[in-house]
Amino acid sequence: MKKFNITVDVGLKPTIKDIKALTLKEAVGHITDIKDFQCRLQNRYLLEFSAENKQQAEKTVQLIAEEVLANSVIETYNISWNETDE
Amino acid sequence: MSKIKAGIITFLGTNCEQDTKHACEFFGWNTEYIWQNEKIDKHYDVIFLPGGFSFGDHISSGRIAKLTPAVQSLPLGKTLIVGICNGFQILCEAKLLSGALTYNENLKFISRVVPLEFLGEIIHIPVAHHQGNYIFCGGDEEVLLRYSENINGSDEHIAGIYNSENKIIGMMPHPERAVSSELGLTDGRKIFEFIENEI
Repeated sequence: MKKFNITVDVGLKPTIKDIKALTLKEAVGHITDIKDFQCRLQNRYLLEFSAENKQQAEKTVQLIAEEVLANSVIETYNISWNETDE
Repeated sequence: MSKIKAGIITFLGTNCEQDTKHACEFFGWNTEYIWQNEKIDKHYDVIFLPGGFSFGDHISSGRIAKLTPAVQSLPLGKTLIVGICNGFQILCEAKLLSGALTYNENLKFISRVVPLEFLGEIIHIPVAHHQGNYIFCGGDEEVLLRYSENINGSDEHIAGIYNSENKIIGMMPHPERAVSSELGLTDGRKIFEFIENEI
């Protein structure tokens, strides 16, 4: 078994209005004079679990991302790997 | 017609199950609660997913509740299913209704009585939500309720939808809080009468 450390970042699709990001943009406007400030918000999930191999771990993390961490109707996710031997 | 039998699913964090039960009983329906971990294998004429904060709204409203045995065993197409507020969020998260519900455009929790368009008339029903901003992504549902003024940024003012083929209704407003005249509002009865007709 191998232990996997995985990061999943979840954010709204570019076509969906990111209301929290727009609020942040307004706040930044109060403390800077940046004219072209843009931002999007993401949630970061740090997962750690053991699996037979990377393929199996990939299946598992995709299931978790699609069923629990993200709503595919409005959100996208990105998976980053940091595998370690147990 | 025999007495209507209503099931009301309760999740950890549900808080509108009693109001929903009272509203059903106002119409003389038999009601019983269904715990989130029970598989639904009994017959009900209508099953409610009531309002509240299932699983603390963690990750996102309705995200965890959609995975419970009760939701996974909903008798789709056989029994009328009605999601109110958090129940609507659960049904969208489970992809039993199209679209998604995200944060209100003003990022505030909105709790007040609002005018709504329902079957060609204006009715007044309370809303109480933080994630009621409906994102329309195309679907076969008909729009059942629209906000007269767009309080939360919902696409096309949508407040409630109905998939008549699969017999699933989802709405953000709380009709169960507008049934008893003691509470000062009775327009919610019209929604329950609609539900009764659709059973």
